[in-house]
Amino acid sequence: MDFLMLAVQILVFPGLLFMTAMGVLLTGLGGKLVARLQNRVGPPVLQPWYDILKCFGKEMIVPEHAGRAVYIGAPVLGFAVLCTAGFFIPMGGRAVFSGTADVIVVLYLLTFCSVMAMAGAASTGSPFAGVGVSREMVAMISYELPFVLILLAVGKLAGSDTGGVTFSLQSIAEWQRIHGPVLFHWSMIPAAIAMLFVISCEAGLHPFDVAEAETEICEGLLAEYSGLPLAFYRLTHCVRLFIMTALFAALFLGGLAAGNDGLAVLLLVAVCIVLTFLCMALPHGICARLRVEQLFRFYWTVVTGLALVSLVLVWFGL
Amino acid sequence: MFQKWIDSSMKKSPWIFHINAGSCNGCDIELVSVLTPRYDAERFGFRLTGSPRQADIVVVSGPITMQSRERLVRTLAQVPEPFCVVSLGSCPRSGNVFKGSYAIDGPLEKWTHVDVSVGGCTPKPEAIIAALAQAAELLEKKRSRMHG
Repeated sequence: MDFLMLAVQILVFPGLLFMTAMGVLLTGLGGKLVARLQNRVGPPVLQPWYDILKCFGKEMIVPEHAGRAVYIGAPVLGFAVLCTAGFFIPMGGRAVFSGTADVIVVLYLLTFCSVMAMAGAASTGSPFAGVGVSREMVAMISYELPFVLILLAVGKLAGSDTGGVTFSLQSIAEWQRIHGPVLFHWSMIPAAIAMLFVISCEAGLHPFDVAEAETEICEGLLAEYSGLPLAFYRLTHCVRLFIMTALFAALFLGGLAAGNDGLAVLLLVAVCIVLTFLCMALPHGICARLRVEQLFRFYWTVVTGLALVSLVLVWFGL
Repeated sequence: MFQKWIDSSMKKSPWIFHINAGSCNGCDIELVSVLTPRYDAERFGFRLTGSPRQADIVVVSGPITMQSRERLVRTLAQVPEPFCVVSLGSCPRSGNVFKGSYAIDGPLEKWTHVDVSVGGCTPKPEAIIAALAQAAELLEKKRSRMHG
């Protein structure tokens, strides 16, 4: 029975099916919002779903010099790893798995997913993909530092009762149930703003998508991908947006509607949609794509600075 | 049923790859204007991609100059099946004002199959959208022919 329950949790809710559906819906909604901001009609909300399905129907071309196993395996493994990261994030009151240091596991799995994308791209041997890999690496270095600082700040605040830093999403949720959401503590507002930027870059959204610049470097990481592996990359992209917004909800807006699971899920969906507007549609509508060094400088000064302010304030018990 | 879903999404998500085979840039600008807010072809799912590997519709403009001929053939060979070729403007059709020049080696039909052809120098954005929509319909047919 327990096994059956776990299987349902992994496959349906809050597992694969829910995460995929939410990822596709959020991405589609983001596209629609961008279009409205630019005074266009915009593609239908299900557009990402059509894109993914279409890729399943296209011929898969494996480049002659590519390692076949890595070329096909990397996108699939990246998707699997990303979904595993999602299992640790509490959605609607509970997560599939939880542990004492699941924040670190999530951080590791998210990084692993990016590394898989880079491994797949590097295996194709295309010079465009090579440039994409180096750019993706710079982007990763840019957002990892503020991301870790934000996680430290939240962990320190949530661990203030026990006097330590907590790395458990479950105990962060518990703390928020008692003390109210982390976002409502004024010292954490800079970290929340920094987290918005981290979501944009981590999910590869428009002004920060230097690694997949389609006009400059032929889609960068995806330059040689077609057919089935491309479908998995698209899927990973969509799910990533959902996982990052859900992580924001778990870190900063946990403990809302505690006890009522249905309402908690609805709230999660609402928060994800608002975050999609803030992180995806708004910067896309306003800003043109940054250059690599602009991205790096922005994240290591402004975003890291915001996260650091929160961390210092929390450390002094404010 | 899954095959049917894939077939019908073929025409809902046609991604365009644009090859300039020695065009004067007029058609290229009109093609880009199709994607601007005024005509907004993205509402039908059209999107410009940067890589031929992800293309569903290849749009060729220009009279196929000697210099671009080899690149054109090589790029077309990299596009995964099923895909459509759209010739944009009068140049790839007939050579237009460049007809008879020693520097061109057209028309486009000499080098590949052409599914839809839009005439004009330059064609209107409305005509381009109509041609792309036709090509998208053809994509679905080609796909369903692929699995019998």
